[in-house]
Amino acid sequence: MSGTVGAPVSRIEGLSKVTGEARYAADFPLAGLAHGWIVQSTIARGRVESVDAGAALQMPGVLAVVTATNAMRLQDVDDGELLVLQDQQVHYRGQTVALVVGDTLEQARAAADGLPVEYQAEPHDVLLSASHPRLFAPDHVNPNLPTDTLTGDVEAGLAGAAVTVDHTYSTPAEHNNPMEPHATTAFWDGDRLTVYDSNQGATRVHQALVRLFGLEDSAVRVVSEHVGGGFGSKGGARSQAVLAAMAARMLGRPIRVVLSRKQLFSLVGYRTPTIQRVRLGSDRGGRLVALDHQVVEQTSTVYEFAEQTAVFSRVMYATPNLSTSHRLVALDVPTPRWMRAPGEAPGSFAVESAMDELAEACGVDPIELRIRNEPVTEPEGGRPFSSRNLIACLREGASRFRWAERDPRPGTRRDGQWLMGTGVAASTYPARSAPSTASVSAQEDGSFIVRLTAADIGTGARTALTQVAADELQVPMDKVEVRIGDSDFGPAMIAGGSMGMASWGWVVVKACRQLIADIDRCGGVPDDGLVARADTADDIAAQADLVRHSFGAQFAEVRVDVDTGEIRVPRLLGVFAAGRIVNAKTARSQLIGGMTMGLSMALFEESLMDAEFGDYLNHDFAGYHIAANADVQRIDATWIDEEDDQLNPLGVKGIGEIGIVGTAAAIANAVYHATGQRQRHLPIRPDRVLSP
Amino acid sequence: MTILSPTSIDEAVAALADPAIQVLAGGTDFMVEVNAGHRRPDKVLSLRHIPELRTWEQLPARDDPAHVRLGATVTYTDMLQPDLAQLLPALAHAARTVGSPQIRNAGTIGGNLATASPAGDTLPVLAALEAVVEVASPLGVRDIPVATFITGPKRTALSPGELIVAVRLPLLDGHQEFRKIGVRNAMVIAVASLALAVDTRTRTVRCALGSVGPGPIRATEAEEWLAGTIDWDRPAATTEAPDLAYFGRLVAGAAQPIDDHRGTAAYRRHAIGVLAERAAAQAFGAGSAA
Ligand SMILES: Cc1cc2nc3c(=O)[nH]c(=O)nc-3n(C[C@H](O)[C@H](O)[C@H](O)COP(=O)(O)OP(=O)(O)OC[C@H]3O[C@@H](n4cnc5c(N)ncnc54)[C@H](O)[C@@H]3O)c2cc1C
Repeated sequence: MSGTVGAPVSRIEGLSKVTGEARYAADFPLAGLAHGWIVQSTIARGRVESVDAGAALQMPGVLAVVTATNAMRLQDVDDGELLVLQDQQVHYRGQTVALVVGDTLEQARAAADGLPVEYQAEPHDVLLSASHPRLFAPDHVNPNLPTDTLTGDVEAGLAGAAVTVDHTYSTPAEHNNPMEPHATTAFWDGDRLTVYDSNQGATRVHQALVRLFGLEDSAVRVVSEHVGGGFGSKGGARSQAVLAAMAARMLGRPIRVVLSRKQLFSLVGYRTPTIQRVRLGSDRGGRLVALDHQVVEQTSTVYEFAEQTAVFSRVMYATPNLSTSHRLVALDVPTPRWMRAPGEAPGSFAVESAMDELAEACGVDPIELRIRNEPVTEPEGGRPFSSRNLIACLREGASRFRWAERDPRPGTRRDGQWLMGTGVAASTYPARSAPSTASVSAQEDGSFIVRLTAADIGTGARTALTQVAADELQVPMDKVEVRIGDSDFGPAMIAGGSMGMASWGWVVVKACRQLIADIDRCGGVPDDGLVARADTADDIAAQADLVRHSFGAQFAEVRVDVDTGEIRVPRLLGVFAAGRIVNAKTARSQLIGGMTMGLSMALFEESLMDAEFGDYLNHDFAGYHIAANADVQRIDATWIDEEDDQLNPLGVKGIGEIGIVGTAAAIANAVYHATGQRQRHLPIRPDRVLSP
Repeated sequence: MTILSPTSIDEAVAALADPAIQVLAGGTDFMVEVNAGHRRPDKVLSLRHIPELRTWEQLPARDDPAHVRLGATVTYTDMLQPDLAQLLPALAHAARTVGSPQIRNAGTIGGNLATASPAGDTLPVLAALEAVVEVASPLGVRDIPVATFITGPKRTALSPGELIVAVRLPLLDGHQEFRKIGVRNAMVIAVASLALAVDTRTRTVRCALGSVGPGPIRATEAEEWLAGTIDWDRPAATTEAPDLAYFGRLVAGAAQPIDDHRGTAAYRRHAIGVLAERAAAQAFGAGSAA
């Protein structure tokens, strides 16, 4: 029987999703369900003096007003955002200061809208700048990487370089905005807590709730069968889960808390704005002698999140002198967190733009420049790569995109009102695996059930895991049921860091192989079935110390209206080397989805800080623009066959994030090629095109 | 919350005697305000079940020129239907740029007028065509020219208890168009917009600007200059092209833009000039329609 891994299989739950049968966190009907609505602070810094719940409690259907004075006490955890309503301090505008609970959502919301909250306001500080007096070096950057690195002597390298590029690039705050807002439905059965929660990994939410409420592992169950996207903002527990569980405990009723679109702009994380200085030094042929990448970014005063923006430079190009650094300032702003390719997405914009500037300065083709700087081993640290096919991606893309026919001169191609240009950028993303557990049971009827706490946030993970299990068990896919999103299945990696398949696929393969061995040993499936369990912790700990990364090449064609500065992107092409592709259909969706988000990052997405009020002012879809269908024209993603036996038994590298890495730089480089004007600040708005 | 759903204009007007009642047409502005907490209606008057408001007719040329009368709840999708689009091409251009299919199916011309957003896409067209708004109240019906109907950003001459029942637009002979700049290709609020209408019978040009002032702005100096420059007796394509860049500068001079998060004032002024020049080129430049 031929395998299904690699085939373009449609997602298994597609029908149940489009018919509305699939249940998301806020869809579960429960008897006696009440609704919580979050009240947010209207100051950016200070204290809540008082909340007058009197009138609200008189309103129809209002059950409770939970504030710092009457909230249930939580156990300490290391994430201040989860310690909700535990004190009167206000750390940012939009922070939760109360939860109003009502019989209906409308009743809760009506009472929340008029709730009188008195504050003692203090002056706030919400603007990031590269010269901020309180910049500091964090202990490490996300997830646990060195803040600064230095190889060789960068200043000497730059001083001796024949050609140098030294520019500052910036990216704005961007908000994840998954389609489904964060939502939790919580209820208690005695001392046992169950939550239906929208997240990227039930294990992490389970751990957080266990700690916050001081419970046994077995007393908490987190169910997250279907999730409508996250882009990093659901990577861990968010406060709505804590509030729902707390209110359910306090009121003895099931409680649902769903965030509004506007609330997502302050309560669940976003991509930090970045200010990045990149200095490149090379010989006349463009061979780097020095690379320096310095990043300034923000965090909140509640939780320190330090994005790893400069890590892109640690793996990309060969140079004897290489330094990277991150400086952070804790502002009175909501906490930034993961957003699709944290680090690599903004970092690649700066470095891949600078590489284009270097290519121009040296008169070397941008693809050739990257080939000349291809390293043999990791530029920072010198470890070998498990596989590295950047050049293959660049060459394959160049041939598909007809790069050889390109006239390198900027600002020379005109079609009526349009200036036309093309650009290229490289991309990369780490390919890691994390320990996970799974079980597979053989049923009497010849079918199998796989259970693991994986998450399908719209990626197709459930389908891909079914393919993996079916191939391992050597049965058709319809003989395998993969059940996911339930913390009762045991700990597993989240859908994050592009590590989902590499972690879950591994443990599913291991469990299936174990089961087959057990069946052989028993001489068949016994009457009461057979279950095999697996845990990959030891396998992962035993991995060789290699640099494992996926790579890619992004190509963009743009048209720029010469008079209005409007930009259109008629063509995007991404070529990736991401190990084995398990499902050609859902993988392509992930990759073009990432590229579309990169286009959106290049041209549209920008959360604007209102300095006076200390809030992101364009906190809805009328003001925060994401690419619409009409903005995406010809878009294609493809991959090269890559075999890498140093990854995991499936040989997968992960595809969730690499699609967004480099896209914005490819577009910015194409805009330069079209207009002759360099765009160093995102998004590339029409007014910036006319006066950069 | 009470919802009234009358089936005739008379019933609706009678209901409006209650000062607490709020009119709901397609809801595409109304519901956004409710969701944002800016509007808390206790009583709602829905126009959905009043068929008379959803119709349009071509009025016989008893007036000079002939008119089209659009009921207040005519939607953007209606404006895009071929028969209506042919009579009012600039309005159809504007309708095509509004929102998404869902918004175009629900949103109405009356709602666009009553909202009176500086970025309302039909407003420059209505201003250029010198449309007249028909308003009804228990006291009777009155006509308000669009130029005086819009009194400021999100402000109109509508008195409490008044209902927009129709908009009358003249049928002109000559080129018409609408242009809009936004940051993306669809679902976008205008950063600058412009309507141009040529009336070959009266030999006038009408040009109105959107999103560059508190309400739609007529660029009268630019209109007069252009009308005076054109050789109306000879097809434009064969005459020496007028200095359309100068027209663009005059239009830009009429704009009163502000800085906001969608664009700078300087960009808006520049962009409106570009739109004007391009619209005029379409109308009067070499190979043009006029
Ligand atoms: C996603 C989205 C995209 C949009 N895109 C655009 C766009 O591209 N361009 C654009 O111009 N607009 C856009 N809008 C705004 C909106 O769709 C339009 O202004 C629309 O014309 C409003 O009409 P409506 O019938 O929905 O009005 P409603 O929302 O029902 O009402 C709006 C206001 O008008 C009043 N009103 C309605 N009808 C009457 C009447 N007959 N008499 C008196 N008062 C009345 C109401 O009381 C209310 O104050 C968009 C809105 C959304 C939500």
